[in-house]
Amino acid sequence: MQREVGSLPLAPGLRARLAAAGFQTAQELLETGPCGLSKEIGISKEEALEALQLVRQECHGDAARTAGGLGTTRKFTALELLEEEQAQGFIITFCSALDNMLGGGVQLTKITEICGAPGVGKTQLCMQLAVDVQIPECFGGVAGEAVFIDTEGSFMVDRVVDIAAACVHHCQLIAEAQQEEDHLKALETFSLESILSHIYYFRCRDYIELLAQVYLLPEFLSEHSKVRLVVIDGIAFPFRHDFEDLSLRTRLLNGLAQQLIIIANDHKAAVVLTNQMTTRIGQSQSTLVPALGESWGHAATVRLIFHWDNSQRLATLYKSPSQKEATIPYHITPHGFRDVQPPAVTPNAEGTEMNPRKRPRREEEKQ
Amino acid sequence: MAAKKLRRAQLSQELCERLNRCQITTCQDFLCLSLLELMKVTGQSYYEVQKLLCKVSRACAPKMQTAYEMKLSKSVNPSSAFLSTTLHSLDRVLHGGVPCGSLTEITSPPGCGKTQFCIMLSVLATLPVSMGGLDGSVIYIDTESAFSAERLIEIAGNKFPTYFDSDEKLFCMTRNIHLYRELTCCSVLKRIMSLEEEIISKKVKLIVIDSVASVVRKEFDTKLQGNLAERSNFLTRGASMLKYLAEEFSIPV
Repeated sequence: MQREVGSLPLAPGLRARLAAAGFQTAQELLETGPCGLSKEIGISKEEALEALQLVRQECHGDAARTAGGLGTTRKFTALELLEEEQAQGFIITFCSALDNMLGGGVQLTKITEICGAPGVGKTQLCMQLAVDVQIPECFGGVAGEAVFIDTEGSFMVDRVVDIAAACVHHCQLIAEAQQEEDHLKALETFSLESILSHIYYFRCRDYIELLAQVYLLPEFLSEHSKVRLVVIDGIAFPFRHDFEDLSLRTRLLNGLAQQLIIIANDHKAAVVLTNQMTTRIGQSQSTLVPALGESWGHAATVRLIFHWDNSQRLATLYKSPSQKEATIPYHITPHGFRDVQPPAVTPNAEGTEMNPRKRPRREEEKQ
Repeated sequence: MAAKKLRRAQLSQELCERLNRCQITTCQDFLCLSLLELMKVTGQSYYEVQKLLCKVSRACAPKMQTAYEMKLSKSVNPSSAFLSTTLHSLDRVLHGGVPCGSLTEITSPPGCGKTQFCIMLSVLATLPVSMGGLDGSVIYIDTESAFSAERLIEIAGNKFPTYFDSDEKLFCMTRNIHLYRELTCCSVLKRIMSLEEEIISKKVKLIVIDSVASVVRKEFDTKLQGNLAERSNFLTRGASMLKYLAEEFSIPV
């Protein structure tokens, strides 16, 4: 930055004028800006801008050499982004109403947060997504792998086996109905063992393990480049106890959110978080709101809230940049996350519809 | 894991001493600081600090398992995955019984039979595996003073008359049930924290807490401000400790 004006690769006439105006170092030039420069030396604004860009490039070259190469921020035009977004895949949830509400499914490179009361189906959806991300491309999936970070211990392998078996069965029926070659080839590799071996499971017992794991995630994702989904089941649980210092908690959460955004963008993965609900006590009534406070609400791009209405489970799209707010019902069947079937079952082209049955709740006695 | 000393995270000696001077001794302290603070404290560049972060994170991050490995390890030992309750319809609904390795909660209005159910589970846990039990001891944390040893013997004698045919067997069974009477939240928490060693030394196969709600409701009134936070603090701490015990030892809680 302290380079002499005389050493910069500018036209000699320009250099003479700069010297006459009293500029000595490149730093002074850059501080003046193109408008000021054009007024002082008497050249047009475009010429001044060109000169400054040249100067900046020179200085940048020096700085880059000393700092060991910082990653430049990428600039995009909106058109490039549009093309990228349209070509991007979605992770379907097998519940068509939910997929429609989300605009196709869970989007890659975005953070989706699922909030809900205990028992409403957040972990079920996470397990369903961990299986669905592996659906081969010819069936409409993204053919990726999944990382499952569990802080609550509610990951049940047997349940994932059930969900995966139902998914494989579904794909087999599609392949039989359509009889295309690449379908059959894809089915050879899409089996129960391969699905289970591509779900990478981490059990974090407290927030330090969670933080450590998220620091190590970029490295893990570069080794396993096919990962397209990162699920953190229970981001609220480790942060809700043992925290006397709330400002530390907010700071750690913000840092975590930023790292997750970087991971989602760099590795083109979808990040799904589940959050708990807490009671906010207002003047006259108390409402259920997502836990971890207002500042955490900014971390997620898409927010889904699951809740009960009598005995029907509902999902509400609470926050989304591109879809409008809506509420849809869903069911949890022995095969996983599914739609609510209308009373008259219409015959389907695939003929695969499984009648949704209410899954018994996992508590022992309900009096 | 979080309290792991930085010394053991394979950081260099002089770096550890430098961090010690700023009161940073464990992985927890290190990871809670922001990047700028770390740069200031260690006096190193951005890239060096990131590498250090990775090193420390590796020291306390959990191990990876694929879901397939989990399934294989579970299928190796299928019979020990559940504690059958001997109520056939309940076992059917629960796919085998009370699951080992996770927390199960029983709730009901008063008088429905929760304590009786707990007493019966305690008897079942002491039975040998051939009879559907877990062949181990039981830790029973009682906060309502509702546990009655006489009732325990009555249940055992009537439910399994052929097995408990002699007094000797009954006494053996009762010796395996360790009862702790705790009356405050604090003591319950302390008791839960101290359970780890007892589980190993006494070969415990079942932990029962009867009941969590009564002691919490006695001490915390939700109308008072500040109590809500403390109450949820106590509950989540207890819950995470119990989850850890359940998973670590693969026992039902």
